[in-house]
Order: sequence, then structure tokens, then C-alpha cells
Amino acid sequence: MSSVTSELARLLEHPGIWRGTSVARTEVLSSGFAALDERLPGGGWPRSGLIEILTPRLGVGELTLLLPVLSTLTRAPMPRSAVWVAPPFEPFAPALAAHGVVLERILIVRVPEALRSGALWAFEQSLGSNACDLVMSWALNHPKGPRAKEIRRLQLAAERGRALGVLFRPLQAARESSHAALRLAIEPSTYGVRVHLLKSKGGVRGSVDLDLTTAGG
Amino acid sequence: MASRPLRKSDARVVRLPTSLRSVDAGREPADSAQLWVGAHIVSLGASATLEKLATRAQRFTPRVSLVPPDGLLLEVKGSLHLFNGVEGLLRGFGADCQMLGIESTIALAPTPLAALVAARVGEPFVVTNKAQLIGRLTSMPLGPLRWPEEVIERLARMGVRTIGQTLRLPRAGFARRFGPVHLAELDRLTGRNADLRHDFQPRERFRRRRELTYEMENNETILAALAPMLADLGRFLETRQVGITELECRLRHRHAAPSQCVLRLAAPLANVERLTQLLGEKLNALVLPEPVRSLELRSGLPVLRELNSNPLWQPGEYGGAAAGSESSALIEILRARLGHESVYSLRVMQAHRPERAWAMCEPSLAGASVPPTRGPGVAAPWGAFRRPLWLLPTPQQLEEIDGVPRRRGTLRFFGDVERIETGWWDGGEIGRDYYTVFDIYGVQLWIFRERADPHRWFLHGVFG
Repeated sequence: MSSVTSELARLLEHPGIWRGTSVARTEVLSSGFAALDERLPGGGWPRSGLIEILTPRLGVGELTLLLPVLSTLTRAPMPRSAVWVAPPFEPFAPALAAHGVVLERILIVRVPEALRSGALWAFEQSLGSNACDLVMSWALNHPKGPRAKEIRRLQLAAERGRALGVLFRPLQAARESSHAALRLAIEPSTYGVRVHLLKSKGGVRGSVDLDLTTAGG
Repeated sequence: MASRPLRKSDARVVRLPTSLRSVDAGREPADSAQLWVGAHIVSLGASATLEKLATRAQRFTPRVSLVPPDGLLLEVKGSLHLFNGVEGLLRGFGADCQMLGIESTIALAPTPLAALVAARVGEPFVVTNKAQLIGRLTSMPLGPLRWPEEVIERLARMGVRTIGQTLRLPRAGFARRFGPVHLAELDRLTGRNADLRHDFQPRERFRRRRELTYEMENNETILAALAPMLADLGRFLETRQVGITELECRLRHRHAAPSQCVLRLAAPLANVERLTQLLGEKLNALVLPEPVRSLELRSGLPVLRELNSNPLWQPGEYGGAAAGSESSALIEILRARLGHESVYSLRVMQAHRPERAWAMCEPSLAGASVPPTRGPGVAAPWGAFRRPLWLLPTPQQLEEIDGVPRRRGTLRFFGDVERIETGWWDGGEIGRDYYTVFDIYGVQLWIFRERADPHRWFLHGVFG
């Protein structure tokens, strides 16, 4: 009986066979939080693709959540850039360095007020450029935020450039549909954040509590 | 040599080492049929430089070489007949000097050093035959050879004051007393040894102008009109194996002042497609006051660029090279649309004042893996205290009730207080007590209270 099961398991390993839970069997990056990795499809953030992080307010822990992956990617043997498109404040370099982020790999992109669609354009250019491992964009201040059609373009650009795109959006955006591979909402909790997986291709939905104090936030 | 790929232009630069060259010593060099014009610049005009004169002199011969600070040599054997012989050529060169406002003396001799020395003496000197050269040189003083004072003085004490007298001295003894360097120079002077000179390579810039047959307003059509000029630029860069880091496009109008768009690049670039793309981005950002009547394209100074073969793997992939060219392409296109200062990288400064503990810097293009300067968990200069991930560009004053700060509701204090008191030596003095607080939405903030009156509260960072 066991030989049959193992035979079946081997057969199901065939890359031509897709199953519901293994759709996201792509390259992943550990999020740095074991509890979160368990829930994420494939066991971590996708290596390429777009994810959306919805927050009620700026600064509830969304950046701390990404610090481990930011640190891992900038310290990889063949690192590419980690781009910050239109961050709301100045990223504080000493704090980033203390968390093991290699600052040489960081690229900050400011978008002049006059160019309203500039942030979205810069985000798409960076994602598709093949020069970035990680691209983060803050669309929080954008009155309407990117539309579904634009999110689709971003997702395709991220796949083309093999980059992980992170789009920070307000919680209200949860009502809109999205083409992002992964969508999560976070809210502050006693010691860290509670992450709600709103959409996860081939993963499980639900919530997970993370302790950010141990992650060095 | 090994670190740099060979270029086409290297073929011209490679010179024989001295040891190989001395094989020729003592016998007639193979390329003895040379004729050199030597020019000694008595005074440069207001704006002229030696390089300007050299560039101009290249119309007589491609073999022009500079002898800084005040000498110029032209090898004219092959081109003499094109300028009506010696007189015509010298007259033409003299006219060029006059036009640039340069005062110079000219001589013609079969060896470069003889031509130069004769020009320095300043008397009319035209020798085309090598057999007559030594005879004409004998009466010349030693000064124009520009040997060290001490050597000339010692020769003078021996009663040797002219080139002729020097040439009559026994060679072995001369070399022993005054060094082989000076003997070798005498050999080059008389043509006994070959004298190899580096050819002057002008630093050209690309410049093209095009008058339009009709006025244009549309960016697309302007870019299309620029296309042939950009193709010219591509050929210009390709033949010289160089790239440019600056390209200026000037658009002239009927009445208004010309519009300019300047493209500055992070790394030397010679790829026309990318230049066109970047220029297109720049043009899109440009607001034209009037339709365009003529176009002009000017390049900055050409820069030698590294020629690399394309890797088989994608950058960032396992086994692939670092994403050097992709990342410079990204930076350039972002800068072309958003402005040069909109794209930057960060670095840590050694300072305790939070606002001075970081600085913007030019993004690194190296692409090579940078060894991490500080690993995770290694003590930061501020020890156990935490720092926020976001810093406000300027501290934002908080409202307060009875000395207790508020921000969108009450604030909950958390953890220890950290005192930062520094900068008294340079006028940027601060004295602050930093606290970590939570607001009612659960956002962690970094706030401080001034130590001096009036003890105001400020928000300075968000932990994120």
C-alpha cells in the first residue's frame, strides 16, 4: 500500500500536473516568520510576483514584516536592487543597516508632485527592468489607488522582471478585486501584528499572529 | 592589461619596450624617410591652447604629437606635396598659428628632436636631407636641448658649448660621465636612433544640427526627426569605441529662447536605442513654448567604455552575472522622467544626531556583491536603544495638554527614555529626550521632548 502511495506522490511531482495547493510551487523566499511561512503558499513570499499589503494606517508594522526578506535579498550572493518607490518619509539608514540590510542595494525613487502617475510608472519600470529583487511602492496617499487593470500590468511586469513587488494600500482597497498573487491585511496586536490572508493563490486563508519584537522590529 | 579587454585602439598605443627598441641602436632605422616640422610656441594667445593648435594642425598630417608645455611636432613627409612643398606647408601652418593668436617659431628637419631644437633656437632652419643635418646642427648652443643646468654647466667647464662639440666627444666617456640618457638623446637628435612619438588624439565631441523643413510641435515627430542624427551619433561612438555620459539636445524656436534638454547618464553609453528612449523620456517632460524650427545634438566628452560580452544567464539568476547594466538602465530611465535628484541610495554617517546619521548618495552601479558592513545583531552605536525605520524630514510639533503630548488621541508610553545631547561644537546643538509611544491606532512613534525651554514635544519617527 505504501509503495502505491509513494508511486502516486512521485507521479504528482511531475511538473505537468497542477494541483490546487501546488499552483504556487514556484521559487519562494522565507518571510522570516515561521508562523507566516506555514500559511503562505509554497512556504514563503513568491520570488516573483505582486503582493498587496493593506494597512489601516501607515506604520502599523508593515515594513518590519518585510525587513527579514529585505535583509536576505540585499545580502544574497548576486544581489539586485531593492527599490522604494515614493516612500512616505525618509527611510532611516542606520536602523536599516542595524537590521542587516545592505544599503548599497537600496534605491529610493521620489516622485515629484507634478507627475501624478509617476509613482505607478516608476513601479512598473522597476518591476520589469530585471534589475531589482524587490520593489516596494506606497500608494497610500493616492486618492483612488491603482485600478484593477493597472494591478494586472504590475503583476505581469513583476513576472517579466522576476521581482517581488509589494504594494502598500489602505484597508479600504480590500473591497476591490485584485490580480495580485497574494493579498494580506495587517492590523496591530499586542506584541506585533495580526496578518489576515485575504487572497492567496494555492494557499490557505485565515489569520496569523506574529510577534514582531523577536524579529528585531 | 589582463583586467581590461583589448580595444581596437590599443593597436596604435602599444609601443615597443625600450630594451627591444635598442636593438636598432647603432644602425639606420628602417623608416628613415621622415620629415618633421617642429614648432616652438613663444606665446599662446588669450584663448588658444596647444591642443587646439594640434587639432588644427591635423589638417596637414595625422601624425601630430605634443611636446608640452610649448612644443608641437608634425611628420609631413607624406603630405608635403599636397601643400606645395616646404614653403607652402610652412606658410599654411604659420597662418594657422596667426589665426589662433599664437606666436611661434618653426623649423623643418629629418628628426623630430632636431626640428624641435632648431625651432627653439628660432633661426630659419629647413633641412630635408639627413646627410646635411649634423652639419647644420653643429653651431647650435646646448641650451635648447633642455638638459639639466648642472650637465650644461659641467660641459661648459670642459669647453663644450655647442651641439657639434658635444657630438665630437668620445661616446663611451660621455655616457659614463653624463649618463646614457643624454647620449641616447644625442642619437635621437642626429637620427642615429629612431625617435618614437605618441600621436595626438583629439578629444572630439559629437555635434550635429538640422534645420527642419517645417515647424514641429509633436514630441513624436521631433524624436523621429532626431533619429538620423542619433544614428550618426551611434556610428561616431562605434568607430571610436567610446561612450558618452552627457547628451544635450537643443530645440530652436522662431522667437522664444531655445529649449534645452540635457541627458546625464550614470555610465558611459553608446547604445543608440537606449539613448533614443531616454531622450524621448526627457522630451516628454519638456514643455515647448513654440514650435521647433531646428534641432541640434551635442555630446559631452567621449569616455572609454568597457566592452563586455553578454552573459548567458540572466542577471540575478544562479550563475548569472550581477545586474550592472540593467540597474544603470533603470536608474537612467527613472532619472530621465523624474529628475536627476529623484533617484538616490542611502548611507550611514557617523553621528549621534538622528537627522545627520544618514545621507543620500549616488546609487552604486558596480553590481558586484558588496560585503555586508554590519551583520544582524551586531551592536549599533546607540546600543540597546531602538531606532525607527522611518524618519520625518523635519520633526513635527505635537499638541499637548498640561505638558502631555497628544497625537490623534492620547499616547501610551513604552520602554526607556534615551537622551541625545550633542553637537555643541558645530552650532547644530541638540538636547532631546526620546520616547517610544503607541498612539490609539497601535502605531509606534518616536517622539522627543526638548531639554531646553519651552520643552516642546516633537514627532520624529515612525517605527513602521
